[in-house]
Amino acid sequence: MIDRASPSPILVGRVVATELKPATPHQFHFWTATETSMGIGAIVKVEGPGTGDQAGRIVYGVVTDAFAYSDLATPLHDVVGAEGDPARAADAPTVRQEIRLWTAAVLRQIPEEPLQPVPLGRVFVASDADVAAALRMDAYLSGATPTGIPVGLYTAGGLESPVYLDADFLLGPEAAHLNISGVSGLATKTSAVEFLLASIFQHFPAHKGRIAAVCFNVKGPDLCFLDQAGPLADEDRRRYERLGVTPEPFPEVRYYAPYKADGVNVNTLRTHPDLASSVEPLVWGLAEVLDYAEVLLNRDDIDAKADAFIDFLADRVLGRDFDDGFGGTHRVQSFADLDRLFRAIFDGLEVQSGGRGDMWRTHHIATIRKVRNRLSNITTRCKGLVADDGASSDLPWGAFEDRAVYVVDLANVDPLGQDLVFARIVSKLREHLERRDLGVGAVVVFVDELNKYASADGPDTYVKKMLLDISERGRYLGLVLFGAEQFRSQVHRRVVGNAGTQLFGRMDMDELATPGYQVLSPATKIKLATLPAGELMIRHPHFTQPIFVRFPRPAVLRGRDGVERFRPADDLPFADAVVRQLVRLDRGVRPNQVKDLIEGREEEDVRRAVAATRRARPADVAGFFRKSLGSRVTADTPRARTVVPPLNPISDDPY
Amino acid sequence: MSASLSDWTERIVAAGAVPAAFVPPASGGRTDVEEFAGAELVEDGPLALHAILPGPAPAAVTFLDGIQQWAVVGYDGVVPIVRGYVAAAARRRGGDRRPRTIREAARELAVAPLTLLRASVRRAIEASGVAVVDVGADAAGQPGRMLAAAQQAVNAERVRIEIAVAEPVAERLAVGEWLVVDGLLSESARLAGHARTLGVIKSHSAQYFEGMEQQTALTAPAGTRTSVFRPRGRARHEVYSWYLRLWPWEGNDLLFGLLRIEARAHPETVAAATAVSGWLLAERAPLAAPDARWDRLLYPIHDVETYLRSRAPRDLLAGAASRLPKTGT
Repeated sequence: MIDRASPSPILVGRVVATELKPATPHQFHFWTATETSMGIGAIVKVEGPGTGDQAGRIVYGVVTDAFAYSDLATPLHDVVGAEGDPARAADAPTVRQEIRLWTAAVLRQIPEEPLQPVPLGRVFVASDADVAAALRMDAYLSGATPTGIPVGLYTAGGLESPVYLDADFLLGPEAAHLNISGVSGLATKTSAVEFLLASIFQHFPAHKGRIAAVCFNVKGPDLCFLDQAGPLADEDRRRYERLGVTPEPFPEVRYYAPYKADGVNVNTLRTHPDLASSVEPLVWGLAEVLDYAEVLLNRDDIDAKADAFIDFLADRVLGRDFDDGFGGTHRVQSFADLDRLFRAIFDGLEVQSGGRGDMWRTHHIATIRKVRNRLSNITTRCKGLVADDGASSDLPWGAFEDRAVYVVDLANVDPLGQDLVFARIVSKLREHLERRDLGVGAVVVFVDELNKYASADGPDTYVKKMLLDISERGRYLGLVLFGAEQFRSQVHRRVVGNAGTQLFGRMDMDELATPGYQVLSPATKIKLATLPAGELMIRHPHFTQPIFVRFPRPAVLRGRDGVERFRPADDLPFADAVVRQLVRLDRGVRPNQVKDLIEGREEEDVRRAVAATRRARPADVAGFFRKSLGSRVTADTPRARTVVPPLNPISDDPY
Repeated sequence: MSASLSDWTERIVAAGAVPAAFVPPASGGRTDVEEFAGAELVEDGPLALHAILPGPAPAAVTFLDGIQQWAVVGYDGVVPIVRGYVAAAARRRGGDRRPRTIREAARELAVAPLTLLRASVRRAIEASGVAVVDVGADAAGQPGRMLAAAQQAVNAERVRIEIAVAEPVAERLAVGEWLVVDGLLSESARLAGHARTLGVIKSHSAQYFEGMEQQTALTAPAGTRTSVFRPRGRARHEVYSWYLRLWPWEGNDLLFGLLRIEARAHPETVAAATAVSGWLLAERAPLAAPDARWDRLLYPIHDVETYLRSRAPRDLLAGAASRLPKTGT
């Protein structure tokens, strides 16, 4: 919370200006004692001399560069003084006069008009209230409906002050989206987003409605333990208290993950028996996939003809009684049904035209073969995600809960499947938000590895188009993108450019050399290149200059610690996995009874019965499962064919 | 300070003086007077050289220096009216090796032959409250002679203010602390008689030896000192003295890197001369460059001078050749 009490201001320096280094309306220079608490990123207040009863101009600035030099006119003088011996240079009885000269960029001037050069006044360390004024936070921290979201503690000059983002500019509608860059492995990007989400959930103003988050976990166990408390140091707890955020794990987290290829073991690292019950399988049928088939089309060589054929399938074939033109009628509801239709078409063309027919319903056979190839490819590469039987298990569209996090674990899913999941979920979010029937008014979508999904120079994929669409229009809908990447320069500039709030963790020097960072001073770049974990540079619409803040470690269990504490369970054999799923629905289910039931049955049939049971969630799970499985059909052994001997033995006569 | 400046200079102009802005070339420092003074050896005989090795400085040393500036700010007829500024400061160097000001004083002066001024101009000066130095009608005549007299008057004021700052500092020196004064120690009885006070003289206007002894003194190699002697001549109070060569003079001139040290006239001074010379030799670093006198100017003295100049009125400094505003481009 902002401390409005006004402690004695700490005088640290004085503005100096020369003809070569003048003070301007946007920049000034000041000197301090050699031993000072100032540093790059520190916020200072300049008090101009007043006239009579009028107070002087107040200017807030942030330190962007620093210089130190002595009265040494040339390095040669030091060599001469030490007689060429560096060891003696330190033995000089007197230390040379030296200066700490700082360059600061103006954050705000009071009064704002007329805009004038910074007065040559005294320089003070900024207090809490000064930081709030300098960053224009006073506009959204006070009033009837404050919209501040704590993001971290500005720490400099021996003081620390909470820094708030404006919810209207972080989550819409004025501006929206957040982008965070930083090298991997320093526990900053994911941690920052986790802390910020917790802060948003606790401080999102009530008058702005309900909010939820959808997080795509695309690597390792990063987001798999958001509902578990992690260890916190006393310093972290103190920071939480200073920021007014309660350090606790997310109370409402739902996990979704596709099955593995066996169709019964969930493809996630959150499989420890104590946690596995909170993971819902993510399974889609043909209808869900065909709606987003465009995701697949951009990836390879499929053209507009294939696109038209897929539209034809979706509009005219899917879920209807369809005459294939060769005397067969199909009702396509699953990939298996679709494959039967494709076979009927190929067989029909073969028979009808003696192998020379190449058009079916205006679609060329080559196009049909391509589409069949792509669609069947999905069932192969995303076997656990796509169900052959057409049944689906999905996010709770229309019933999203306030302040809940929905984690979709795609860490071990094929890239094609990741694209498909991402495209469909984001599209569904947009559809529901447009209709205002999602259950919440705003959704934060967190996507890591943004340079993969919205690369600056890659092909125009459906996912990239979708991310661009969210970036440019999402704020009107309440669809907010929190994107993270290692190299910001490799992300499409419209995606990062539309992010109203930008966070920077430790950056690679090569990345800092790219044009996007030209506005930063060399000193700020050096600070960025050496930022410790837990410290960020922030750009926000209200802040005229980047600000450095520290944030506490998230109160949730880190992914790596999570897999240590909740070691993932080994994949179960098919029968045991089926039992586990049914036991999850009803603890009274007897494992041996289930195993007897599925003994000798086709795995596909068993999977279908499990899915049906899971969807129905009946009172009598075992009975429903038995009924869904159907009666056992015993296969008949074909009778041996009676061989009739030829009437005439084969003559030896060659003619 | 600047308020009184504009006060009294504007008053004399209002009283009929013609405004002027002339900073004589010699206004920023002292000029040497060539003379032979003579000396009496109190160590060795004849004058000998002693090799010196750089040694540790005392834990705390206070350095004292003064500055003087003056300029013609008006004419009453052909009688110049001079504005003078003198200041002195003592900066103590302690364990952190950084000098800090412990005492300072500054004074602004109006220098003129009061009897030659018109009554209105004289009244204007006297009514302003500024310290007035009457150089006397004897200096009148040519304006050039008047300027020389003004310079001497300002110089005398500078010596006075230096002593005014130095004597209390010397009295309060803690055990083991030293005071090093830029210039003659013999101007003050208290300073000349203090056991841990040194005068460091860079300008060798007075010569104390002749013949071979002069050659010995003025060709002393770097890192040597001469025998201790008692200077004769214009010294007001008795002191002991010796020469100390900081830097090799070969390739430069005889006085390059040559200091003359003054200390209390006491046998202990003779005994301590080598040790004192050792830490003064160590004061060669850091170099006082880019000051042209870096070969003889100890850095802490340079530091005091820099401090004083940073606080002196800017309009008394000699301007560039052009009197147009100076640009940095």
